This record gives sequence, structure tokens and C-alpha cells, in this order.
Amino acid sequence: MRKFTTRALLVAAALSASVSTLAASELNFWSWRQEDIAAYEKIIAAFEATHPDIKITYTAHEAKAYNTILTTALAGGSGPDIIHTRAYGSLEAISGAGYLEALDGQVDLSLLSADELLGTTLRADGRIYAVPFASQTVVVYYNKDIFDANNITVPETFEEFKAASTALKAAGITPLANGTADGWTVEIMSGAIMPNFYGSGFFGEVTSGATDFEDARYVGALEKMSELAEFMPTGFEGVDYATMKALFTSGAAAMFIGGSWEINGFRDAGINFEIMPGPAAEAGGERMVATWLDGGYGVNAASENKEDALEFIRFTATTPFAQMLTDELNNVAAVDGAMSSDATLSRVSSFHSAATPYIMLVAFRFDTPTGSTLLQSGLQELMTGAKTAAEVAADVSNGIKTAE
Amino acid sequence: MSMTNADYEKAKRNRTLKLKLWLLFLILPPAAILIVFVFVPMGSAVWYSVFDWDGLVRKEFIGLANFQDILFNPLKNKVLFNAFMNNVKVFVSLMLVQNGIALVIALLLARNPKGYRFYQVVFFLPVILSTVIIGFQWKLFLNPVFGLVNKFLHNIGLHDWALPWLGLPETALNSMLLVNSWHWFGFPTLVFLAAIHRIPKDFIEAARLDGASEWRIAREIIWPLMAPAITIITVLTFIGSFNWFEIPYIMNGLEGSPAGSTDMLGLMFYRTAFGSVSAGGSNFGSGSALAVLMFIFIFVFSIIATKYLTSREVEMN
Amino acid sequence: MANVVLRSVNKQFGEVKVIKDVNLTVEDNEFVVFVGPSGCGKSTLLRLIAGLEDLTSGEVHIEEERVDHLAPSKRGVAMVFQSYALYPHFTVRQNMGYALRVAKESKETIAKKVNDAASVLQLTEYLERKPKALSGGQRQRVAIGRAIVRDPKVFLFDAPLSNLDAKLRVQMRIELTKLHRSLNATMIYVTHDQVEAMTMADKIVVLRDGKVEQIGAPLDLYNAPDNLFVAGFIGSPSMNFFDGTVINTSNTDVEIDVKDSVKIKFPLNEPSNLSTGDKVSFGVRPEHFTIGNTNQGTFTGEVYAVERLGGETYLYLYVGDQKEVVAHMSGDQKIAIGDMVEIGFSLKQSYLFGPHGDAVR
Ligand SMILES: Nc1ncnc2c1ncn2[C@@H]1O[C@H](COP(=O)(O)OP(=O)(O)OP(=O)(O)O)[C@@H](O)[C@H]1O
Ligand SMILES: [Mg+2]
Repeated sequence: MRKFTTRALLVAAALSASVSTLAASELNFWSWRQEDIAAYEKIIAAFEATHPDIKITYTAHEAKAYNTILTTALAGGSGPDIIHTRAYGSLEAISGAGYLEALDGQVDLSLLSADELLGTTLRADGRIYAVPFASQTVVVYYNKDIFDANNITVPETFEEFKAASTALKAAGITPLANGTADGWTVEIMSGAIMPNFYGSGFFGEVTSGATDFEDARYVGALEKMSELAEFMPTGFEGVDYATMKALFTSGAAAMFIGGSWEINGFRDAGINFEIMPGPAAEAGGERMVATWLDGGYGVNAASENKEDALEFIRFTATTPFAQMLTDELNNVAAVDGAMSSDATLSRVSSFHSAATPYIMLVAFRFDTPTGSTLLQSGLQELMTGAKTAAEVAADVSNGIKTAE
Repeated sequence: MSMTNADYEKAKRNRTLKLKLWLLFLILPPAAILIVFVFVPMGSAVWYSVFDWDGLVRKEFIGLANFQDILFNPLKNKVLFNAFMNNVKVFVSLMLVQNGIALVIALLLARNPKGYRFYQVVFFLPVILSTVIIGFQWKLFLNPVFGLVNKFLHNIGLHDWALPWLGLPETALNSMLLVNSWHWFGFPTLVFLAAIHRIPKDFIEAARLDGASEWRIAREIIWPLMAPAITIITVLTFIGSFNWFEIPYIMNGLEGSPAGSTDMLGLMFYRTAFGSVSAGGSNFGSGSALAVLMFIFIFVFSIIATKYLTSREVEMN
Repeated sequence: MANVVLRSVNKQFGEVKVIKDVNLTVEDNEFVVFVGPSGCGKSTLLRLIAGLEDLTSGEVHIEEERVDHLAPSKRGVAMVFQSYALYPHFTVRQNMGYALRVAKESKETIAKKVNDAASVLQLTEYLERKPKALSGGQRQRVAIGRAIVRDPKVFLFDAPLSNLDAKLRVQMRIELTKLHRSLNATMIYVTHDQVEAMTMADKIVVLRDGKVEQIGAPLDLYNAPDNLFVAGFIGSPSMNFFDGTVINTSNTDVEIDVKDSVKIKFPLNEPSNLSTGDKVSFGVRPEHFTIGNTNQGTFTGEVYAVERLGGETYLYLYVGDQKEVVAHMSGDQKIAIGDMVEIGFSLKQSYLFGPHGDAVR
């Protein structure tokens, strides 16, 4: 039924596009999602079907260069009408500079949770500058065929996780595909392993300043993290993101700790996988997943077609839009109400009942050095045995305290 | 139809004027290029460096605060010092390994061995390949899981030698230095070879008659007479080492992974000025200040080095 | 006995034969000069002795010892290069002492030997200078000093004076001769200047195309050249050659017809194998002509140029069918361009060469 609506909308869009092209206000929409061009064009076509006088052109820039291209354009007084923004610190860079239109009061944001809106709020004035679009979640992927073939039951606690890994290793299979060559992948890995050890209360305490990263809970979590080094590939120090994926998709490694955006790729690779949250500290312990907001849609404050752009932004805050995002892109949409027909994606959504903020990105990416910079480098040293958990914790803690 | 004195004067003036115009014509284009592509960016970097430009908009003038921040903020100067020492290591290693190998090969090639032309071309080939491609290729070769280097080491039984070369702090920088040396050694080889060929054969034969060993000839005759080439290569290597960016960026990323062991001033500058996904937002003010510091350092040391090295050069006849 | 002996020496660069079966003995203390036109192999032969080139075949002996397998430095030779090859980054003192330093002589010995050589060569005040700050002649002396300091068995000079101006060349020529006498050393000297060869040599080796044409004392070569080439090469200006045809032979003389104009009866000291109709060359040195008819032989020609040097005069004439002839007279001759002049010669001071260029005596 839902699919039918989408298709109907598309047909309508195709028809209207051929009929009414005159008097259209033309909007530019920039993004870094090159892999999503087709999907976005469908979504835009659906919007244009109901707004025949608005025409939107979607342009995707190279992801790495996107920030630079966008900020250069904005600083030069140009830039697109509709902006696909990142969240947190990256968003603050442009919203703080006044390039974005504040949306609260102009857009109905009732379908979004406070947690999600936090990612697009400018801390300085408390106003919201983008409609959150999707969240990312850190999960543990595992290869069902390998688990079955080796009679591994899906582990629930950390000890079970290690036992399963030991068994896999004995069978000549690399338990965990993760490496440390790309710092950000180790941070992701920590997002699955560490929260269940430092606990749900830690985030609030460390962000409020009630404790710091030298907290025994955090040091303990780092120690647990380091215990996994032996289950990573031989030479994991040199294993980068591409190699990690190759190891997992080729079946050489049984598990892969990564973000929810991998689902499509792994599915395309044809492996029989399932996902689970990071293991619990002990039997019956909480199994939290780290999540963060991937970004949002904002309006250029200098746009000449601000009203039309806002009209599109209002559309992105609705359930039909969220549904299309879910259907076309397998994203976990931020806006409530969308239902996924995809079992894996539904599972990701269900994990959100025990979500915890992906700590460095959400709370410590505003100053230099960022928490991510400190943690990534610290985790590399931890996993290679160059530093102890306590030393890494001290480095991170001092770094964050000294950053202005 | 005779010319008066005035006519001669006029013709002479005419000729000097023409010469001046011609010189102007020759000088103007390079001068314009220099101004547009060197002085203007340099000037703007200096200008930007005295502003608070944390984020997208330039805020107020803050004097030398950016410099103070980079040099004396304990966290930033730790990163700066680490990167700087890595650059120093790069310079020293490239001088010893890359240019040392180049010198040995040049000395060997200077004896006109069989296949001399062939070797010359082969050794120069990596120089003309794109740095980006070389960095990427070698990153693949050094991959611990399916890289050729470790496969080869396993095949010849050196299992313990098969390391995650780019992932270990002890080997990452050295691996990249070897790749860089492989990429560039053909260039100093060519310069050294040209310099050796410029030394009259008589000098070497006279030394041979005087009983000097080949090693002694290389050290006492060829080496000092190659001084101009050594100067050029030293200064170029110095500048290249302190601006080293592409290979570390491609092979180990913007953060100088693992754990800052491959961090370079160039990477730090890029992260600071333009920001990165992990390192946070852009700060043109701070980045410009770093760029200015790098420029001053490289400029001053290049001049001192050139002065010092040139003073040791001798003219041949 | 620092003699040098070459036996059947051959040198080939790739396919090109540059030295062809050279046999030569240089006696102890002898001053031997290699002359020959540019490219004839003089330098190559010298470098073969020095060991800077390897022999293709043959033997080199120095002081009764075979040396062609030895490294240059082990042969006891010192060489002075045409370019001087002074190390530009060393001072004169360092240049002169380099070989001794390499040989690990003591500092005192080096200083003494360098100082001695410098005083002989009048270089003492230049010892601390770099070669760049010296004149051509001074550099030349440093190069010689560098050789002297090593106290070699044999000195080898490769055209050492060719970069100097005429006056300095004469001066250095005399100094080198003096040096040879005072050092009592064997010297082999390459030049293309036949005046240097004539004035300095105890023995001249004339080379052509990698082959020895003739070896002998300077005046022997002048008076009794073995062949047309040596006859033309030694002496300045060159000998005049006239084409001729044998019209009659006997045991005591050969009658030749020089280009249909003059008939000459050339006396023989030894029997010749010439026969009637052979093409021969008849030669007279410019300095052996006299003005006026001699009853032994006379050419008549029209003067087309006269060079008067005061003490001597060079006449340039067309003889017979536009044949250019040079005559060298002493004193100032009252002869003008266009004059028809008779120049005569004596048969004792004339030369005859057979069809293959060999001297007929
Ligand atoms: N290294 C070499 N390779 C090939 N041919 C050579 C080499 N050295 C000399 N030759 C050739 O050998 C011949 C003799 O050269 P050499 O230098 O001995 O002549 P030369 O008599 O010293 O001439 P000059 O009076 O001009 O110095 C020349 O034809 C020269 O081209
Ligand atoms: Mg020569």
C-alpha cells in the first residue's frame, strides 16, 4: 500500500513535470551523498508533483571536499538554496556564521525527538537550523553462515563474545574484521564496545563536568576494548576501512563492528549477515548502541527563494518524506512514523530503545583538538599496546580540558 | 646624405629604448606570475594570520594571538613539535637514503656500464609517475592482508617480517619514506650524474695516477666538485621534506595515523585551516599562522643552507 | 735504468684500431717526443704507458719490468695533462702534495718535497693559492711540480704547452729542457708542434694513423727522412714536392722528368728498384733553394707572394703548371711580385721518394 502511494506520486510527478515547466522557481540543493543521487531525484520528483511551481536541482559533491566547497561558496555569498548539512560541530560552523535560516517557528518539528534536534541546534542561541534527516547507529555485524558452520551461538555478554571469538580463531577464522589503520573505524568500534562498560549515566556526567575521562568506568571500558586486539586480523594495525570490508564480505572474518550505513553494501555483496548490539558487560546488563544524527536539511539564509526552500524543508519534516528515505535509502529516518519493510533496518530501529550518544562526535567535536582526534589516536596506541588504558584516558581527558 | 651628431645620438637612444622595451617584455610575464601566484597568496596568508577566523566568518583582529596559540598552547605545540620532529626525520632520512642511494647509483652510472641508457631511463621512470598513484599503489602493496610485500615475505619464509607496515608507529613513517625514496631517487640521480659528467675526466685520471683509491677519488675529488649539485639537492630535499604532504596524506590520512607517528606540518596545516571530519571545523586564522611559520622557517633555513653550501663550492677552472 | 719498452702494442676502441703494432725503446734519461698530426694516437700511446688505457695486445715494460697489468699508480710514472688537471678545490700546496698524502708520507716529508719542488719552479709564493688565482704559465708549473714531487721513474707530458701563448711557450720549452737535465729523468713528451719536437727531443717518434713512421734523432729525421710523410712533417715550412716520372735508371743514378719541365739526374748511394715509367716525388726543402741557376737543377717560376722578415725572406712562386713552391732565403732579397725568378738547388740537398713514398737514397 505504501509502495503504491510512492509510485503514484512518482507518476504524478512525471506528468506534472512535462506539463508545467513555466513560472517555476528554481532551487539548488547541495549534498555530499553521491551514492544517493537517484533516490533523491525520486524524492524531489514527488515533491515537485505537489509543488508544480518549484523546481529543485540536486547536486552531490565529493564527500571529502563537501565542507570546503560549501563553506567557500557560502563565504562568497553564493551557495545553494537548500543545504544538506552535517550535524553537531560541523553544523555549528555554518549556523554560527549566520549562513543558515533558523527553522523553529517556520517549520513543524513535532515529529522529531529532542535528542535528534540537539544535533541541529546551535548551542549559542538554542535555535534549530536544520531538519534532522537520519541517524547512524553502531552495531556488530556477524556472518550467520560462519556462526552456523562453527556452531557459535550469538554472544550476549562480553565474555561470551570473547569465547565465541576464541572458538572462531581456533577454527582458523579471523573473529573480527576491524583494524586500526583508519582512526575513525577504531572510534566506531569503541562505540559498540565501551558504552556497556561505562554505563548509561556516564555521558551526562562527563558532559556536565561532574566527572572526566579518567573516570574508573571509562578506563575500565578502555581496558575491555584492548582485550579485543587479539581477535582482530593479523596486522590489524595496518588494516584500513577498505580492507575491513573486504575481510568481512569475503567471509575471511566473522564479525564487523561498524555503522548502520554498511547494511546496503553488505547486502549487495551477498553475504548472509545479521546484526546485534555490542555485548553486555555481564549477563542481564544493558546493551546500548551508540547513535548520532547524520545531518539535516537547512535553508540558506541568503537564498532569494527562501519561502519555496522552506516549503521543501517542511516536506522533509513529514512522515511521507521519512518513509521515502527509509524505502529508497534504507536510512533510519529521524522523523517519526516511517515503517521499514526491511528486517535489518527495523532491528536497527528497535535497538534505539537503548541508545546512547556517540560520545565524542555528539559532545566533544566543537573545540580543537576534538575528542575524536584524541580518542582515535589514543585507541590506536591502546590497541597496539603502546599505551595503557589509564594513559590513554589521561591523554584524552587532558586534551579535552586544555582545548579552549 | 651624412648623419649629424644629433642623428647618431638619436639612433643610439632609440636602440637603448628598444632594448629596454624588450627586457621589459621578457620580465613582465614571469613577474606577473610571481606576483599573482606567490606574493599575493603569501601576503594574504600573513594578513589572515592576525585575525580570529575560527569558523567560517572572519572576526576581529587579534594580533599575534594565533601564533602564540600555536607555539605556546601546550596541546597545540605538542602536536606542532611532534609534526616538526617528523619533518626533521623525513629530511634526514631522505638525505641519507634517497639521496645517498642516488649518489651511489650516479657514481656507478658515471662509469658508463653496459646498458647505461637503459638504467638511466628505468631509474627515472618512477619520478614521472603520479605521486597520487604511487601512494595508492604502495598502500595496496603494503596492505597486511592482501598486499604483495607481505605475500612475498611469506613466500620466502620470512613470516616474522610480514608486518602491518603502515599501521605500526615504528614502521609507518619509514615505509612511507622508502616509498618516497623509490618515487624520487631518480631525480637526484640524474642531477648528480650530470654533475659528475661535468667534472673533467682529467681530474679523476690525475688522481688515479696519484694512487688514490676509487673511494678516495669519490670522496676527495668527485664529491667536492659536485658541490653545486649537492647544494641544489639538499635545499630541494629540505623544502620538499618540510612541505611533505601527498604521500603521508594518501597513505596514512590527514591525522598522521597511527597515533600521530606520521603527522607532518603540512597535514597539521591542512587540518587546522580546512578542518576534517575527525579534527573539527576550519580555522583559517590559525592555519594561516601555521603556514606563515612554516614559510619563515623554510625560507630562512633554505637561505642559510644555500649560503653555507655555496661557500663550499669551487669553480672548475 | 728507467727505460721504457713497448712491444707490439695495439689499441682498439671498439672496432677502430688506434694504435697499430708499435715497437719502441726509450732509454734511461732520454727525452723522447711523440709527434704526428692530430688524431694520430699520440695521447693514446702515452695513456697506454701511463695505464690510463688498457692494451688490446702487446707489452709495456718500465725499468725492465712488465707493467701493463699494473694500476697507473703502480707504474712509477707521473703525467702532466694538457689541461693541467689541477684540483680546483685544493691549494697549490695540496695539489702538489696530493700523491704523497695518498701514499701516507709524513707531514714533514710532504712539506719538504713540496717546498723543494716549489723553489725549483719558482712557485714558493703561490703555494697557498687556489689554481684559479694563477696565470696559465704558473698553473703549468704547478702541474709539473705535482709530477716532480712524486719523484717518478718516467715523466709523461701530453701537449703541456699548447695552452700557452707563443712567448711563454718558448720560455717553458727552455725551462723543461733545463729541468730534464737537472732531474736526470726519462721523459716522454707529446706535441704536435714540430719546433718543440726538434728543439727538445733526444729522439723523435713520428706517428701517423697509429703507426710509427720513423724514430730517430731530430737532425737524422730532418736530413734523412725515411719517407714522404716524415719528410713533409719535419721541417718548417714543409718540403716542396714535385711529381716526376722515371725516364732512365742505372746503378749510380736515376734520371727523372719533373712535370715535363726539368730533367734531373739523381745520384744513388745504394741500388734502387725503380724502373722506367715509375711515378716518383722529388723534394727540396725551402731553405735549400738559392737564387739563380745552379748547374745541378733549377726551377723557373713567377713570384706571387713575398714575405720579408728582415733577416730572411720567403718567396712563393708558381713553377710550371701553377705548381706552388716556397723558397726560404736569408737576408732581404730585392724581388717583387710578378718577377720571373730562377731558383736552384744542389742534388745533395734534395730528396727522392719512390711510388710508395719510400726514400730513394
Ligand atoms: N676513448 C676513446 N674512444 C674511441 N676513440 C678514441 C678514444 N680516445 C681516442 N680515440 C680516437 O683515437 C684516435 C687517436 O686519439 P688521440 O687522442 O690519441 O690523438 P692525438 O694524437 O693525441 O691527437 P691530438 O694531437 O689532437 O691530441 C682518434 O681518432 C680518436 O678519435
Ligand atoms: Mg692528444
